Amino acid sequence: MENLLRELEHLSLQRKTRRHFLQSAGLGLGIMGLGSLAGCSSTGSGAAETAGHSGLPHFAPKARRVIYIHMAGAPSQLELFDYKPELARYHGRDCPAEFLEGKKFAFIQGVPKMLGPQGKFDRYGQSGAWLSDYLPHLQTVADEITFLKAMHTDEFNHAPAQLLLHTGSPRLGRPSLGAWAMYGLGSENRNLPGFIVLASGGRQPDAGKSVYGSGFLPSVYQGVQCRTGGDPVLYISDPHGMNRNARQQTIEAISEINQQIYDDVRDPEILTRISQYELAFRMQMSVPEVTDISKEPQFILDMYGVKPGEGSFGMNCLLARKLVENDVRFVQLFDWGWDGHGTSSNANIEGGLRAKCEASDRPIAALIKDLKMRGLLEETLVVFGAEFGRTPMQENRNGLVMPYMGRDHHLEAYTMWMAGGGVKRGYTHGETDELGYYGVKDRVHIHDLQATILHLMGFDHEKLTFPFQGRNFRLTDTQGKVVRQAIA
Amino acid sequence: MSLLAILQSAETPAWILFIGRFHPVLVHLPIGFLLIAVLLEIGRYTGRISVDAVVTRFILFWSAVSATLACGAGYLLSLGGGYEERLLEAHMWKGIGVAAFAWTAWLVQFLKVRAGGKPVYLFSFGLAVLLTFAAGHDGGSLTHGNDYLTRYMPGPLRTLAGVEPVRSVTGIKPVADWRQAVVFEEMVRPVLEARCTQCHNAVKKKGNLRMDELSLLLRGGDNGPVLVPGKSAESDMIRRCLLDESDDDHMPPKGKPQLTPDQITLIAWWIDQGAPADKKVSELTVSGQIEPVLASLGQPGDPGSGISSGTESAVAALKAAPAKESDIEALRRTGVTVKPLSQSQHLLEVNAVNAARFGEKEVALLLPLAAQITWLKLGRTQITDASLGEIARLKNLTRLYLEHTGIGDLGIAAVAGLSHLEYLNLTGTKVSDSGLRAAAAMTGLRSVYTWQSAVTDSAAMEIGRQNPGLQIVNGLSQAEAVPLKAPHP
Repeated sequence: MENLLRELEHLSLQRKTRRHFLQSAGLGLGIMGLGSLAGCSSTGSGAAETAGHSGLPHFAPKARRVIYIHMAGAPSQLELFDYKPELARYHGRDCPAEFLEGKKFAFIQGVPKMLGPQGKFDRYGQSGAWLSDYLPHLQTVADEITFLKAMHTDEFNHAPAQLLLHTGSPRLGRPSLGAWAMYGLGSENRNLPGFIVLASGGRQPDAGKSVYGSGFLPSVYQGVQCRTGGDPVLYISDPHGMNRNARQQTIEAISEINQQIYDDVRDPEILTRISQYELAFRMQMSVPEVTDISKEPQFILDMYGVKPGEGSFGMNCLLARKLVENDVRFVQLFDWGWDGHGTSSNANIEGGLRAKCEASDRPIAALIKDLKMRGLLEETLVVFGAEFGRTPMQENRNGLVMPYMGRDHHLEAYTMWMAGGGVKRGYTHGETDELGYYGVKDRVHIHDLQATILHLMGFDHEKLTFPFQGRNFRLTDTQGKVVRQAIA
Repeated sequence: MSLLAILQSAETPAWILFIGRFHPVLVHLPIGFLLIAVLLEIGRYTGRISVDAVVTRFILFWSAVSATLACGAGYLLSLGGGYEERLLEAHMWKGIGVAAFAWTAWLVQFLKVRAGGKPVYLFSFGLAVLLTFAAGHDGGSLTHGNDYLTRYMPGPLRTLAGVEPVRSVTGIKPVADWRQAVVFEEMVRPVLEARCTQCHNAVKKKGNLRMDELSLLLRGGDNGPVLVPGKSAESDMIRRCLLDESDDDHMPPKGKPQLTPDQITLIAWWIDQGAPADKKVSELTVSGQIEPVLASLGQPGDPGSGISSGTESAVAALKAAPAKESDIEALRRTGVTVKPLSQSQHLLEVNAVNAARFGEKEVALLLPLAAQITWLKLGRTQITDASLGEIARLKNLTRLYLEHTGIGDLGIAAVAGLSHLEYLNLTGTKVSDSGLRAAAAMTGLRSVYTWQSAVTDSAAMEIGRQNPGLQIVNGLSQAEAVPLKAPHP
């Protein structure tokens, strides 16, 4: 008995954290309690999963949905998109001093050699977009695409650069683009999460789940990751011996208890919990149906180059199409393994990059065509890109000659592209210098890209804000200019 | 430093302008006070109300005090400059008149002047009121421009008031023969008038710059010359146009209609040619870059309208009254999502993605929202050709999704009158070539999707050729499908 009592005390001490202390102290003072109420009033009704924020969007959206393809690790723009014949002439020569003075690189040390483009470039489509032989399928949809050739960022390491790209800040704690979109627009399909994440390539992006988190926004807006093999969502199927009726009664009972607690303490996170339980219950029916590709005709599978049952980037592209077809607002694709430093047989330009392109080029082109023939492309924004680009110099980690061809992280200039959703068709925006080191015309910063995507979704990026810690926050913080030239 | 010295120095101190900017607040006090005094006096004379003379005297006193304060603040405000002097002077003297006659009227009452007191009182009181109206009108003209009151005056009233008939400022007329056009008068001036002179004219003179006359434009403003003949790169007016729109120095200011890239190119070229007042295009050097810009001025429509104006969706211009919440609720009970399209309009989007049973019975619930619904997504529902007759009454519809429904050619004929419709999704329906032809005849339609329907490729090709503005997607074209099967290199 004494043992039991001691254990109870121990447990209760374990549970009493600083947060509990602050919470009760705050309620005592009244002020903090008020703050929490003010915070929850914006999400309010508990129907947040479909409602979005009232009074938004600011104007009629051109892009009702987004498929954001993030190639984690960062492919080389100099092999795929940004054709620099002059760089070939400098291949193997020492990098000019002005490219190195005052610069920091993730791995390059001393004076590296320049590395010429390894792809065979040509112009494609009516628009004459430059693309290399690494992307034979993308060539066929070049006229649907707006290329942003002079993207630049502030961060040269994967995790902070990914956070900057998706949350607007290189540090943790901000909501991601998809969470902002959900906060502003809500979801259309009440049986599916509005923000779904699909990852491939064997690993999560370096910055972890924060790149699709909700930050200080109510957690109902965060991305929900689905698996690509087996059950798309873990434990979505009823366990043996449990039927759907019993499951429904369980959920209803739990929701009732949660509602009582909410009426007591008014913590908005309880509303999130209730709606997530209810959504999960509806998802038991809808998710298996939407993610079931057995009913897809063979020619569609061939188009994407996928086989039923495999968990791959190609399958994620097909799933992305099926999800937006069912009005999922924001589908985030991550594909890991693009970090071609030249350190191993996988992470290099001649082998690794080619293999990654072979696995992704066909499904991406298929996705664009598939969306188009279903009438979805003109209102679905497809974004392709990474956290940064690669250097025009060959990497010389530790001052050594690398076993394979590779490039270091580069933040001054790289390529991203967008298609559908109200962007121009067959348009190239921005230019880099002769060696592809700096953007020299129409540079686009990460915050400009974010402002543009929000604009296409119907938001004024300066007005889409959320009060937190005493001030209004927004995705683009204090920066960002909409790239109007890219909008059709 | 004495007040006078401060007032005469070149830079107006900030506190002067700070106090001056209370003028618009203060100025409304004597207006209100005097009018209420008039009403009370009329009421008193006609015997409708019983008010003591003390009350009107009290109100008159405060009218006079507030009018005096308003005059002082107004003078300080005027030191900031930028107003047309003649109008400003008239406004000032009328304002001072209001204060002076209000004081006179009050004084007559206060001293209880017996002999001739009443006529003097009535005269000064009446004059103060009349001057209030006159000064108020001048003040409005100073702030909002001379034609603020009359700009939207209807035609017959204009003739009565002796105001010149409406002059259209929105469109810039095409030039008849661009080679023989006088560059400044026929090409540059219309752009300046459409985009610059609202703020840089005889009355408003922002930054002490006038752009309504060439000689004054060449003189420049507070920040020096804005135009350097022969050197567009050094001309401030071009530099400011090219700055980012969010830059504080950008012109026209953020939110105002902007110059198109072609219009900037045109003005820069004219400056590079020495900013001549009366030269024709044929007398100047026309380089390859400027020729298409000049030639486009000969085309009807917004000259050199730049990138996106032609492709803007009509939905932005649609207006509707707010929908009744009860109608929205009734519709929601069928399982559809109803959302506002944007904060600035009352338009709605309706999505039946969770309402697969949505059919004829439910369509009736759309009708009370006929003016508001602009996006209607009914894909994979039980909708039939018969229901489309009712959907045809949703006159503000811009996007209609009927994919994978039992719709056929009859249904398309029923909705053929929807003039704002831009997007029509008929994927997986029974619509055939004749249905596509009916759809193509819809004036506003920009894209129609007919993959997996009964539409044949040859008809889609032919109808596409006949309607160059319409995108018809009937599945993958051969050009798109073939490379897909090509083996990897």
